[in-house]
Formats: sequence, C-alpha cells, structure tokens
Amino acid sequence: MAITEERPEILELESGDTSFSTGAFARPTNASGWRAWFFTVDHKKIGIMYGAVAMFWFLWGGVEALLIRAQLFTPNGTVLTAEQYNQIFTMHGTTMVFLVIMPLAAAFANYIVPLQIGARDVAFPRMNALGLWLFVFGGIFLNLSWFLGGGPDGGWFAYAPNTGVTFSPGAGMDFYALGLQIAGIASLVGAINLIVTVLNMRAPGMTMLRMPVFTWMILVVQFLLLFALPVITVALILLSFDRTFDANFFNVAMGADPLLWQHLFWIFGHPEVYILILPSFGIVSETLPVFSRKPLFGYSVIVISGAAIGFMGWGVWAHHMFVSGLGPVGVAAFSATTMFIAVPTGVKILNWIATMWGGNLRFTVPMMFSISLVSMFTIGGLSGVMHSVAPADTQQTDTYFIVAHFHYVLFGGALMGLFAGMYYWWPKAFGYKLSESLGKWHFWILLVGFNMTFGPMHIVGLQGMARRHSRYGPEDGFDFWNAVVTIGAFVILIGMIVFAVNIVRSWLGYKAGTIPQEPADPWDARTIEWAIPCPTPEHNFDYVPVITDIDDFWHKKYQPDENGKLRKIADGNEIAQKGDQSPHLPSPSYWPIVLAAGLPLIALGLIYNLWVSGIGLVLLLGAMFGWSLEPATDPNAGHDDHGDDHDPDTNAPDGDEGGDAEVAEEAPVG
Amino acid sequence: MSARINKSTNTTTRAAGKRHSLMGRLIRLSGLLLTAGALASCATGRIDPTNPVGENAKQIDGIMRLSGYLATAVGIFVAVAVVLVIVKFRERPDDDPDELPEQIHGNKKAELTWTLIPVVMLVFLAVVTIPGVFDLSGKGDGRTIKVEGQQWWWQFSYDVDEDGTDDIVTANEIVIPVGEEVNLEIQSNDVIHSFWIPQLNGKKDAVPGRVHHWRISSPVPGIFYGECTEFCGLSHANMQMRAVVLSDEDYNNWVREQLAPATTPTAAAAKRGYDLFGRHCVSCHVVNGLYESAAGGNANLTSGYAPNLTHLMTRTSFAGALFELYKDDGSVNVADLKEWIRNAPGQKPSRPDNRQGMISFAETLSDSELDDLVTYLMTLGGPPPLMPS
Repeated sequence: MAITEERPEILELESGDTSFSTGAFARPTNASGWRAWFFTVDHKKIGIMYGAVAMFWFLWGGVEALLIRAQLFTPNGTVLTAEQYNQIFTMHGTTMVFLVIMPLAAAFANYIVPLQIGARDVAFPRMNALGLWLFVFGGIFLNLSWFLGGGPDGGWFAYAPNTGVTFSPGAGMDFYALGLQIAGIASLVGAINLIVTVLNMRAPGMTMLRMPVFTWMILVVQFLLLFALPVITVALILLSFDRTFDANFFNVAMGADPLLWQHLFWIFGHPEVYILILPSFGIVSETLPVFSRKPLFGYSVIVISGAAIGFMGWGVWAHHMFVSGLGPVGVAAFSATTMFIAVPTGVKILNWIATMWGGNLRFTVPMMFSISLVSMFTIGGLSGVMHSVAPADTQQTDTYFIVAHFHYVLFGGALMGLFAGMYYWWPKAFGYKLSESLGKWHFWILLVGFNMTFGPMHIVGLQGMARRHSRYGPEDGFDFWNAVVTIGAFVILIGMIVFAVNIVRSWLGYKAGTIPQEPADPWDARTIEWAIPCPTPEHNFDYVPVITDIDDFWHKKYQPDENGKLRKIADGNEIAQKGDQSPHLPSPSYWPIVLAAGLPLIALGLIYNLWVSGIGLVLLLGAMFGWSLEPATDPNAGHDDHGDDHDPDTNAPDGDEGGDAEVAEEAPVG
Repeated sequence: MSARINKSTNTTTRAAGKRHSLMGRLIRLSGLLLTAGALASCATGRIDPTNPVGENAKQIDGIMRLSGYLATAVGIFVAVAVVLVIVKFRERPDDDPDELPEQIHGNKKAELTWTLIPVVMLVFLAVVTIPGVFDLSGKGDGRTIKVEGQQWWWQFSYDVDEDGTDDIVTANEIVIPVGEEVNLEIQSNDVIHSFWIPQLNGKKDAVPGRVHHWRISSPVPGIFYGECTEFCGLSHANMQMRAVVLSDEDYNNWVREQLAPATTPTAAAAKRGYDLFGRHCVSCHVVNGLYESAAGGNANLTSGYAPNLTHLMTRTSFAGALFELYKDDGSVNVADLKEWIRNAPGQKPSRPDNRQGMISFAETLSDSELDDLVTYLMTLGGPPPLMPS
C-alpha cells in the first residue's frame, strides 16, 4: 500500500500486488481541466485548493469584519441591526478560525510536509481529498444559513443555553452545529493522515530530530486535532440533539448545568488556539534561519517547547471561564497553569531572536512577515499573561482588551506567519516568486493597518468597552479610538488588495514571461523541498533522498574546508534534482468528492426534512461502496515501464553513504 | 551566481533606504496618535474600570497594574532586542556573499537562562495572584441582595426582614448603603449574563441554575455604571445597570419607601391610566399592593419576569437602564417613556414574538391612552434619592 524502497530503521510497509487493477469502478484517467482538480488525490493540488478556498473565506470573513467595524465607527451605529450584528460577529469568528486559519495551515501541511520529509505523497491520498472536500462543503453549508433565514447568532463559542431553540429559534445555530461537525471530520481525517505520513514516510535517515521544525509543529498540531476534535464533536452532538430532538443536555429546567458546554467547548477551544498558532511557529522556524543565514538557534529546544505547548495546552482551558463561577481553587489552579504555558512560548521567541542575532539578515518579504510574527505575537502573548492573572481578568474578560489580545495572537501571530509562508513557498508551488516590491507594500500597509486596528482595542478595552455589543453610546467615551480602529480595518483592506494585485500581477507576469521561473533553490534554503525544481514536479522527488543532517540540503551546499571554515561547495540550483523522472503516481478518484457531498445533504435534512438526509445517506454509503471497490490503480496509466529508463548515477544525491536511493516504486493509493 | 546575489543585495539596500524614511514617518504618526489618544483617554466614559472606587476594584487594579508593568517591561526588552537585531545584523552591500556568519546552533546556558528568568517572574506573578483570587472570592459581610439577570435587564431583590421572602423587588438599579460590602447572590432566569460594575468590582457570570456569590462596595455615595458582559442574545448591548450608593440615612429612607405598597390614584387621568395598566400591562408587570398577578414568573416571557414597577419613579432610568427617566432639569422624561410604551421593540431590539422583551402597543393604545398610562406611571413613587450628575 505504500512506498517500497528500503528504509532502515523505519517501519517498512508491504506494497501488495501492484498489478491489481480489477475493480467494480474504473478510476478517472488522464484527468485534465477542472477534472484534474476535482478528482485529484495529489497532495500538492489538494494543498493549493485548501489555500485558495481558505483565501476566499478570508475575503468573506474580512467583509464581515469590515461590517462590524462600520457599525462601530460611530456611537449608536446604524449600519447593521442588532440581529445582523450578532450574526455577523458570530460568523466572523467562526469563519476566521475554522474556514481560514485552520485550512490555511492545512494547505501548508499538505503541500509542504510530504516535500520536507522526502515523500511522494501523503499516506492516504484519497482520504486527503476527502478532507479537502469536507472542508469545502462544510464551509458552504455553514454559510448557506445566510440564505436560509439568517446566520448563527450565538457567538463563535456558542454558550448554552442561549443557543437552544428557546432563545435562538432560527436555523442559524443548526447550521453552526452541523457545519462545524462536517469541517471537524475534515480536520480529523487530515490529522490521521498527516500523523501516519510523518511517522511512517520520512526519507531514510530523517530521524525525528532531523525533521524540519515546520513538519514537527504540524505533527504536534495533528495530535492536538486528533484529541481536541472529538471533544467539540461531542459538544456539538449534544447541542444538535437539544435543538433537533428536544434533548435536555443544556436544559436548566431539567437539571442541566450550562457550564458543561463551556468546559467541553474550551477543552477543545484552548488546544485549538495552539492548533492555529503552531503551524506559523513552524513556518518562521524555517524562514528565520534561511534569511539570517544561520541555523535555528536551539533546534531541539524549539521542538521540545513546541511539543510542551502541545501538552500544556490541555491544562489551561478554564482560563476562559474565570468569571463563570469555578470557585477560587479552580481559578487559582488554571491561573497558574496559564502563566506557565508562557514559558515554552517565551523560550521560542527568544530562540528566534537568537537565531537572527549575529546573522546576515536578508529582508525579503517572507523575512519581514516572520519578524513581525516574532514582535506582534509577543504583544499578544504578554497581554495573555496579563489575562492569566485571574483577578485582573475579571475586569478584562469580554472587553476589547481580550479582542485585542487574540487578534494579536491570531492575526499578528498566525496570519503573519502564514503570509510569510506564502511568500516563501510560492515559487515552490507555482514556479515564480510573488513580487518583492508589491510584497513590501503589502507588508507595511498590513502592519500599520493591523496595529491601528487592534492596538487601540487595548485602550478601549481597559476603558471598559465590552465585546459583542452591537452599539455603544456617545456617553461612553469610546468614539475616538473606535474611529481609529475602523480606519485601521480599512487600511488592512488596502493591504489585502495589494496582496491580491500582487498575486494576479505576478501570475500574469509569469505567464507573459516577464517574471522568470525560479530555479529549485531561490532563497539559498536549508530543507530538502528546495532540492527539487520549482514548481514541484508532479512526482516530487526523482529519487528518495537520504538524509544525514538537520537542514540536510544546506549541508549539501556548505561544508567545512581544511581549516574548518564553512565554505560553499555547491550551488543549490545545480545540485537540485532535474525532475525528469516520471514514476507512477496514485490515480485520481471520483469518490472523495462524492462521499463528501453526502454529509451536507444529511445535515440539511436534519434541519428541514429527513428525506433529504436519506438522499445524503444513499450518496454517502454509495460513495463508500464505490471507494472500496475502486481498483488500486488506473489500469491505463501504463506504469509497467516506470523506473526502467533512468540511470541511477546521473541524478543520485551527493554525499550520502546510504546508497539505497532509488526511484520510488509505488506511490500510496490511500 | 555571485552576480545574482549581489543584485539582490542591492535591491535590499535600496529598499532599506526607503524603509527608513517610511519608518520615520510611522514613528511620527504613531507619536501623534498616542498624543491624541492620551487626550481622548482623559475623557473617560460612564463605564470606567480605570478609576476603581470599591475596595475590590482597587485591589484588582493593583494586581492588574503590576502584571501590566511586568508585561510592558518584557515587551520593551523584546522590542529592543528585535530592533537591535534588525539594525545590527542586516545584510550590508559590502558583505561578502560567500562569507557565512558564525554558525551557532544553540547555547545551553543562554537557553537555560531565558527559560529560568521567565519562570522566576511568573512564580512571582503567581504568588501575587493566587492569594488575590482567594481574597476576592469570599462573600460580602453586609446584607444580601439577590441579583437576577434576564433578557435584557437586571432584577434586584432585598429580603429586608430576613424571613426568606423578598420584600423589595426593583430593576436595573441596585441600591446599596455606603461603606458596606453587600453580598450578592447572582443568578439568571434564562441565559448566561455577566454582572459588571467595573468601578466597584470585576465581573461575575449569572448562570441559570446556579447561585454565584459576589460582593460590591463603595466608600463614597454616587452612581456607578455597569452592563452585561456575557453575550446574552439580541439586545446584549442594551442590558445596562447602575449601582446607586446612598448614605445610611438616604438608604434607610429608600428602604422605607420601597416597602410601602402602591396606592390607587385619585386624579382622573391617572385613574384612567391605572385601568389601562390593569388591562394591558399586568400580564407581565407587577405593582405591589395593586397588581400582583404576574408575581413569581409568568408564561408570557421566556425568563418569566418583567420589571416590578411599584416604585418606578424612584429609579433614574428605565428599559435596562438604557433611557434616562428624568431630564437634566429634573422633570420626568415623558417623551421617551411614552415612546417606549408605544413601541418598545422599536426602541430596543427585542423579539416579543418569541416572548423575549416587551410587545409594541402602537396598534393597541391611542395617543391619549398612552398619555394616561404615563400619567399613571408618574404616580409610582419618586423622585430618586440621587440623580446622575
């Protein structure tokens, strides 16, 4: 079922009979055009689609943010009604968390992780496609609510019992509960897939402590997803049962305690914060060394602190509940644990600064975004420490001080890191760099807009402006800073328009030939995804790389001379693979998208008419049936002659003592 | 190869020059903003956590400032380090592109140091915080007041003779004697709300099915503003409250007045209003001594309660403390009161069709009937012991 090359020290998987090609249903062949995308199982195409769809939702979540800010531009704003405002802030948060940052991280994880570990694809390519389509349909389903009576109106953390049918009679909260359920399955499928991939499919020699930090952080995140998602799944099932079948999980009159929801939500919700931020920590741990021309300072400490954050992240959830009546013992305990999660986070910040210290800093756009993560996230982290002081939190919680805090973490941290990653890996995915000059405009406008938007929120928050209020009065004294904040939000919009222009212009320039195709290693980078051409060939690696070092690719380029002084011995672009092999790849499949389409139908039926659920169920089961009876490979792919025409000596990587590099025989089939 | 690197180096340098001027402008701009902001911050509003008055609020303020200073110090340290790195270690045009900076993979001592220093700082913070948590958690030693949140207003009940039944039930304004740490029993009649009068103490959630103890006090008389801070549905933004802190004498007078039941009006207009009230309002509202059918919760509202109006005119505000009951000159704000009764959902977002909030009487009551009703309401006690300044 997987790669068959020899892998000392690593679990070897049996490939099975690869000539097996009989099945009830043929696989799509020679897919091109839209079919090449809709039925693909290629981790790179899937990664790009994750990114593209997430950017669409980013646009929509941004529009929601601007509507919120337009409403709060002046006291007693009349842009939105209270009802619209409540729905829009609920969906702004839900969209940005579940449909933007998580899938953007998934985009990078899908695209980059297999490349960083020298794999041909993920372990289960069809499941990977299933995850993508579940995310796509989950997002569409959530937003269908806008056209069917109004969006969810309970806030993104949807505290019971305000979300029950008594208090929220519209269908919005049903769309929330079921839509997140669908998106949750997407993340769960992806998590299992990536864990198996990272644990089993690393190139020979890539021990866990030679793994690039980005891959490490993605691995930690997948474990967090694996354990956190079941908790919110349970919570959402309880909510759906309450709403759909009149169950009494959150019915106080029947003896329920509404704090059950809060505990379940935040046991998911706090690890979720690390799910959102750790991928970006991984990204800057790649970019900072490359653009400082120094190795990461304290690789193992950064890896271990990332894992420590992953563990400690499970023990801090109740700091979201300091005023909900936990009692002083609980509050004190969670106050202390929350303080101490700042330690591994702080270590990371200082190690990144130490990475840059003494370096030779190249201020490319990805570097600028990375440094802004280090500084902006620090502000968010420090205000987080202020919240951990529980008595102070009783004044800060549910004010704009909190809103400022988590936007510094999620925008200043997670998004800045993701932008860094986009500019950094863009040539690897598309073959050309985004314009550096437009990129710098994007960066500076965004940085100014970001601080104008979220900086003053600290002030109005301390002045007592409560979040989730659809209006404030002229007597409240919040006018000035709210006006600044709203202007800042539109500055962010300008920055994002520059980014969009950059994407379009760079693409057109590349098509027209005015923007060059980049060589394999445009940044003088360190990890092995830069040892293959830009854009990545469909099969990734001609040969399975053999890893001998952390930052293996860099060590192929730089070696100590006779005096022990590091010298450049090879040009990355010259030692990079030529990408002229065409090994056999997993065949596309119809079934992931068909199977994924079944779930929103089932969910719609649960809200409106169970017959629709029946149709969805038939689709789901039919797709499972088709999936299992699908032939392992496309019989027409003509892969019998693969690997026979290459000369192992011309392209074999330099300097490896393993000598067992060979063309991967068989890619995984999922 | 080296030509390529040189080229990119030059680009970087030019961009760096540009960035300097841009950075200068940014610094000037942010300086301007900060000055303007400092001025704007002086004009604080009614909700004002930055001016703590109550003992608890002051204690919280002290801990918060400490954590704030600590965070600021660390923030400045990191900012300086980042700026230093950017300035000192930027690639320069005369750098040899083949010359690598010293390759440092880590330094155990340094890393141990910057692990331990934060640990020490956080232990210090925890040592300050945790006793504070316990200090602030106890019951108040003064009288007990029941606080009930519901969509979208607050009810306060006083058991004056401590016989287990509420003797005073009022809305939106909690009246307390000066210098006494009153013991609040915070509850909710529908969804989760949060009780917050920041100048007196931090927040405490009102969770249905639970009783949360909290306390507030003020060493000086005055009116302190607060609001609901846990999202509670449609009109969350309009669920405000006030704490009215009275001298002992004023407080005792207030209690005496509140204990007295309402009396039937005699003047003609008020009498007509009284009858209208009996026809249209009593399915939800209570007036002690006259209309008590709605007491103890009723099925017309999801929360079961509407404000008790017995001594309406002793309050300074109405409708979730959203509107002033009196104008600046001390006369009753008749216009807003009448408009509120005519069309409450138009004045404050609510959902009476789902039993959340007051219904509209625009179709039911004529203009003169509304006038009569307001005239009746104006007989219900008053004026308040303390007016907003």
